[in-house]
Amino acid sequence: MIAASPIPWPIARNLRGWRFLALAVAFGLTLAALVVPVLPVTRIGAEILMVVDITGSMNVRDYAQDGKPVSRLDTAKAALRRLMADLPCGSRAALGLFTERRPFLLFTPIEVCADFAPLDGALAAIDWRMAWEGDSRIAAGLSRAIEMAAGLGTDLVFVTDGQETPPLPGGEPPAFDGRPGAVRGLIVGAGAYALSPIPRYDELGREKGFYGETDVAQENRFGPPPSDAENREGYNPRNAPFGAAAARGTEHLSSVREAYLKRLAGATGLAYAHLDRPGGLDAPVRAAVTPRALKGSLDPRPILGALALALVLATLCAGLPLSLSPSARMR
Amino acid sequence: MPAVFAPYGVETAWVLWLLPLALLPIVASGRRRSAVPAIAAAPADPLSRRIGRALTLSGIATIGGLVVGLSGPYRAGERITRIGIGAQVSMLIDRSGSMNETFAGKQPSGAEESKAAASRRLLSGFVGERAHDHFAVTAFSTAPMLVLPMTDRHDAVRAAIAAIDRPGLDYTNVARGLAMALSQFGADRGIARVLLFISDGAAVIDPRVQDQLRAAFAKVRPNLYWLFLRTKGSPSIHDRPAGEDTPQAAPERHLDLFFKSLTIPYRAFEAEGPQAVADAIARIEALERDPIPSTEVRPRHDLTGWAYGVAALGLLLLALAVLAEADLPARRAVRRIAADEPLRRAA
Repeated sequence: MIAASPIPWPIARNLRGWRFLALAVAFGLTLAALVVPVLPVTRIGAEILMVVDITGSMNVRDYAQDGKPVSRLDTAKAALRRLMADLPCGSRAALGLFTERRPFLLFTPIEVCADFAPLDGALAAIDWRMAWEGDSRIAAGLSRAIEMAAGLGTDLVFVTDGQETPPLPGGEPPAFDGRPGAVRGLIVGAGAYALSPIPRYDELGREKGFYGETDVAQENRFGPPPSDAENREGYNPRNAPFGAAAARGTEHLSSVREAYLKRLAGATGLAYAHLDRPGGLDAPVRAAVTPRALKGSLDPRPILGALALALVLATLCAGLPLSLSPSARMR
Repeated sequence: MPAVFAPYGVETAWVLWLLPLALLPIVASGRRRSAVPAIAAAPADPLSRRIGRALTLSGIATIGGLVVGLSGPYRAGERITRIGIGAQVSMLIDRSGSMNETFAGKQPSGAEESKAAASRRLLSGFVGERAHDHFAVTAFSTAPMLVLPMTDRHDAVRAAIAAIDRPGLDYTNVARGLAMALSQFGADRGIARVLLFISDGAAVIDPRVQDQLRAAFAKVRPNLYWLFLRTKGSPSIHDRPAGEDTPQAAPERHLDLFFKSLTIPYRAFEAEGPQAVADAIARIEALERDPIPSTEVRPRHDLTGWAYGVAALGLLLLALAVLAEADLPARRAVRRIAADEPLRRAA
């Protein structure tokens, strides 16, 4: 009875049918996913030297996080940690601290993915107590940081609030003696635009209030007096070359000195960005630094697997509307 | 989650939300549609039913396998304790300005090597030879600086050591540096701890701070090695000063006495040249060669291949099923269909 009239088995037509082709291709893709090696690709990454200002004014709490005031240094640390996580693997980063008039290199560039844990730990451990001097001569520090980055062959990310301590004589920064633009990079201005008091600490590191007007130098009285000194009250060329009155000012308060930092950036050929929140440094840093071709690796398996899955779903769904109705279900 | 699944994980968990798609083969067969007047007319056929179920299961396995494969499954690396050579080494490195001078106390010129450059070269070698060790780096001058937390990433440790011959800072403030270097050891018990202290000078430790340091040393109990890079003509650790024997007159000698009073394993090495530094480091290395139990985390095991393997098997069956589809003209007698059903399914 069975042999009487064999059911036609159109294998040639089946072979040409799109459902077979789709499943065969999906099978091939899945087999490929089993054997394919990791592909080498070229990515765009960065090599940067991060220099973080750890002077006293960075302790000013003029950022807010979850409704609580947060210091500039903590915000800068959070932003740099986020930046490290955002950079593509193969990028490298070195870290230095700035206080007094020069950067202090903690380590030469390390890879941001494989060595992420120590890099992140080192960033998290940055503390103002690591500072070896109280001065904050930013123009000098920036110029040396640029030299350091050139020596390391990296770009520079310099995080500071721009408050020079002691104030610059006449408000003029020393001339930059390097070649502007030889090292690319970014100056990140930390701090809010309004003046805030600077916390003060005792010798054991405990906070004991804020700096007052007479606690800090309001005017730089080293070197020759400014040209308008003759008009000051009580001026005497020998005994009172800066005038008789004590200098008054707002140097005991701090805000981000954006105009000054932009001027420094212009003189040195760096870019400038303001640190608005603990994050978002990714885009300005990528725009400012030299893009470097990195050897990356790409795992092609998810792509192959996703294609195979799409093909299988397509063959299944081809019959779905009809096979959902019980009368036409093929069993 | 049952304990059986505890060691397993996936890299991109959200992909697993696609897993319900694996139920699609239950309602959609994906097979060619043929018009049959009444399916109920066909007699029950166990073989056909089994083949149908097998194909449904193949579909479930295919989609499930692909979705799981896409999510990147792995078995987490287990922690194994092995007897090996390894320790936690916390390095405390003097970065005061004098480290940039030669052992003769001059600015290096020509082929001369500064104390910092010699330590950099020799410590790099030391890190490279100890594959199982964890290292932490602390620098100190006026203030202590945490350079690297305890890590097994030796590239990062070498990068930190590469920075130690840069121009140094002001003074030698030993006490705070020691406190920070001690704080670098984790809470793990049963791991050998080594505090390697490299300096070219010493300073007076405030008696009040001495007590705090003593307590910290007693808690951590590291093996302490002091590599004293002695500049020619400067007093040795063992020299008694000519006048009064106070910490101010001979800080090196009194720091040594302080370390000796800590009742922890302690050795001081005095090096007056690069060769002596190399010898000292070699001896420290030999001393720290005791086999100790160390905990090692094995790398995790990628299971993506298994998931794709299951999917490939299911796909093979599905593709063969499509290939085996037969035409089932509607005009055939129901009897004939019923009789041929096993053949059609099995073909």
